[in-house]
Amino acid sequence: MLRNSRTERLVALVLVAPFLAIYLLAFVYPTVQMFRISFTDAPLIGAGRWVGFDNYLRLDNDPMFRRALWNTAYFVLMTVVPGTFIALLIALGVSRLKGRFQSIVLALFFLPYILPVSVVYLIWDWTLNFQFGIAMHVLDWLGIPRVPVFKSRVWFLPAVAGVTIWWTAGFSILLFLAGLRSIPAEIYEAAALDNATRWTTFRRITWPLLWPITSLVFTIQLILQLKIFDQVYLFSIGGRPNDNMVLVYYVFQKAFQQNQGGRAAAVAVTLFVLVVVVSVLQFQLLRFAERRRR
Amino acid sequence: MNFRRMMAIAVVAAGGFWAVAAQAEETVAWWDFLGGGDGVRMKQMISDFNAAHAGKIKIDATTLEWGTPFYAKVQTSAAVGEAPDVMTYHASRIPLAVSQDILEEITADDMSKMGLSAADFAQTTMGAVTVDGKQYAVPLDTHPIVLYYNRVLLKKAGVLGDDGRPLGMKNKEEFTATLQKLKDAGVEFPLGSVTADGNFMYRTIYSLVCQQGGELLTGKEFLAGDNAEKLAKALTVLQGWTKAGLQSTYTDYPATVALFTSGKAAMMINGVWEVPTMTDLAKQGKLFDWGAVEIPVIFDKPCTYADSHSFAIPKNKGKEISPQKRAAVLEVISWMDKHSLFWATAGHIPAYKPVTESAEYKAMEPNATYSTLTANMIFDPKSPKAGVAGPIFDIMSNYFVPTLNGEMDPAEAVKSIKEELNGM
Repeated sequence: MLRNSRTERLVALVLVAPFLAIYLLAFVYPTVQMFRISFTDAPLIGAGRWVGFDNYLRLDNDPMFRRALWNTAYFVLMTVVPGTFIALLIALGVSRLKGRFQSIVLALFFLPYILPVSVVYLIWDWTLNFQFGIAMHVLDWLGIPRVPVFKSRVWFLPAVAGVTIWWTAGFSILLFLAGLRSIPAEIYEAAALDNATRWTTFRRITWPLLWPITSLVFTIQLILQLKIFDQVYLFSIGGRPNDNMVLVYYVFQKAFQQNQGGRAAAVAVTLFVLVVVVSVLQFQLLRFAERRRR
Repeated sequence: MNFRRMMAIAVVAAGGFWAVAAQAEETVAWWDFLGGGDGVRMKQMISDFNAAHAGKIKIDATTLEWGTPFYAKVQTSAAVGEAPDVMTYHASRIPLAVSQDILEEITADDMSKMGLSAADFAQTTMGAVTVDGKQYAVPLDTHPIVLYYNRVLLKKAGVLGDDGRPLGMKNKEEFTATLQKLKDAGVEFPLGSVTADGNFMYRTIYSLVCQQGGELLTGKEFLAGDNAEKLAKALTVLQGWTKAGLQSTYTDYPATVALFTSGKAAMMINGVWEVPTMTDLAKQGKLFDWGAVEIPVIFDKPCTYADSHSFAIPKNKGKEISPQKRAAVLEVISWMDKHSLFWATAGHIPAYKPVTESAEYKAMEPNATYSTLTANMIFDPKSPKAGVAGPIFDIMSNYFVPTLNGEMDPAEAVKSIKEELNGM
């Protein structure tokens, strides 16, 4: 069939245009602005003087920035691998259930995911509040001293990491479940005929065939957790972000609380580059690992 | 008069009436951050205002989240011309707002249109809304912190004076002894402190620094000379109370109020804005006999941190306020100040002197008990870095929680605070 390539291109353009316009307006333009502002001493509103690489050079000697960087890494470490692993375990469990019961159990695991972050915060604050939390009464009853979970320097990030896994596991479980369902039953039948043990079946069949999903979940989680902000912000209401300082919080603090738009932009650019580098690197590594296995 | 002529007159009259009505009903967009017990009172005042100005001015009020969310929204909305016509503003934030050029100046002409003059306000309060000799807001109140106490528990522990006020308010040793006696009498928390909220504790700690004659900002340097040691001393006292089990640990704001109102804490240092909570509970018969006094003198002299709720007109970029609207806004501000006797039931000390000098105000409790403290008030340092949810407030607050709960050494905290403030 003959096609008019010019019309084709026009149709394509018309179809893509709305997305492209929003993308340019809501992503590309702000990103370019972010880079530009990071070279100025702009306050939160309005323009500033050009200061070259000053904002970046100051980051090098900024203990708070270093803490933010370290805490972000710590948080990623506590959420990404354990979160992915827990989701896989739950998915393996749920996939063994049948029919309506399976749907109910899956719904229960998925439920936290649909809650807005403020509700998640309230639920856990009611549970773990040092003076009035329900869990604290349980500790009293057991004779264990109360733990200021969201208020102490040691416990804060692990606690928020735990809440984050609880909150976001639902989506990963769903992805894993879809992956498990796409593995043909015949392969398992063949393995059963060969008298393969459960562990061998998992190691030789399920795990390798699930690898693309695992790397996807891993990458999504990594990008998401590098940008951690809302939970940390809510749980540190009352002013204690310094021990819990993460990169996005630092951007927020610099811009909105300390009125230093330029320096905030420099931190944002650093985070942007970090996310791009880490996610590309990680995806390539996972693909490399997958290819070697074949 | 023929029919046609009559019709013409009727049409003109109707048109004229319509024009007058349209011109007269001026809607004033209002933003505030008064979400607590005082917010309820403010809503009452707004509806009273609307009733008194029916057909002429109508306030369209929105209450936003206190602190950083409110001020972030004000800054960004003023920059794009979407700010309200009038808003409540903390006096401590005015230098920052002026440096961002988001507030309209309140001229002498405006003041006379409102029937107000600078002499109607205390000098410190007026000074707090003035930058480089220009006035940027009209103060509504001053709101210090006070010491709330439970007379029943204090009496039981033998630390209630014959005048119904707590004993041992003159120095650190005395006050600590009072707390210890309460502890010995079986009170779980002699002092309920907002130890999980550095934002809040800033007020107490700044008061204690001032009680030693210290200051945060000297010229352009933060915590210069021995001011750093004074801050460390203030923190040490508070940390000492935690370590001795005399104040509640890791307690956030709502929990502190709950500890006090439930009788688990015998005393509480909190803002005067919790007065309505107490009066309302007492009215329902759900509260013990309570009182509120000026905070104790821990160091050399009485001093209490205060701030002022004031009214400011935002400078809307590209959408300047019309003269008619401005006149309506001035009427709103003027009315609110002149009717601020009711605002005093929210615990605040009205800024408008004719109100505080009235016999009705002087008879009002507990305001009358603590209104003496206006002589010992200190406001935030006048700097674009100061103010509620501003840079100084924010940076200092962050080190308070670990220090107050004994996780961080006061000297270490002060060193970090000093470095961060001066490195801003």
